[in-house]
Amino acid sequence: MNWIIRQFKQETWSPYAAGALLGVTGILAVLLAHTVLGASGAFENLAGLIGKAIAPKTFDNMYFNFIMPPGITWGVILLVGVFFGGMIGAATSRTLKWGKPDAALDDAQWKRIFGPQPWKRWALGFLGAIILEYGAGIAGGCTSGLLISGGMLLVPAAYLFMVGMFASGIVVALIVYRSRY
Amino acid sequence: MNYVIALVLGAAFGFSLNKAGLTKYHRIANQFRFKDMMVMKYIMTALVVAMIGLYALHGLGLVTFPTVPATYLVGNVFGGLIFGIGMSLVGY
Repeated sequence: MNWIIRQFKQETWSPYAAGALLGVTGILAVLLAHTVLGASGAFENLAGLIGKAIAPKTFDNMYFNFIMPPGITWGVILLVGVFFGGMIGAATSRTLKWGKPDAALDDAQWKRIFGPQPWKRWALGFLGAIILEYGAGIAGGCTSGLLISGGMLLVPAAYLFMVGMFASGIVVALIVYRSRY
Repeated sequence: MNYVIALVLGAAFGFSLNKAGLTKYHRIANQFRFKDMMVMKYIMTALVVAMIGLYALHGLGLVTFPTVPATYLVGNVFGGLIFGIGMSLVGY
């Protein structure tokens, strides 16, 4: 029992232990709910929901009508769970930054590369997330929804996606870090 | 009931992401610099565990696979390319 508590208080687990936990979660998702884990689709469901309320004409197209129907789907609830699960993880290791002065930006490496201003983190985060979500929309899923969930069912799409993700990810890292790569 | 399952599984998902440190910028960025292989180890472990479990259950006839993301060569690779830019830039 003490051992379990000690493990919970650790900030970083072995990637093999944490990965196994995710693997079991993925199995349970298929077994109990007959669906796969995913994150990016839920944002599109929510975007569709908001978009249909504000500008029904613009959102009245193939994509939001058939491919990603708006609504509070299973994925949206899953995303709420992910948010709180992450918080529980941080709280158990006492690294929760809620309300702390450095909550917006605490990553030493980011500060070294981009500077200490929190607004840069917000701005780049917003911009990067748009790029990321757009790519996920084209590919049909994100790291969790396509790479992990598709990969565990041996879908070729997942591995194609990984090739693309790493190809451009490495190039961008090269550009950002240049001589420090 | 379905929503309770989603909430619990989501919490387990988020918890494991946090404990693997994937919620931190430097982990993701360093994966693309090949200085820190945590992300790859994490994803591959999850894949292997889930594959074994799912295909074993499938073989025993206990589960049917849900509809999976469609494969279309150009879309998957092109989407991955755009996705990688965002992921490497902001580290989410």
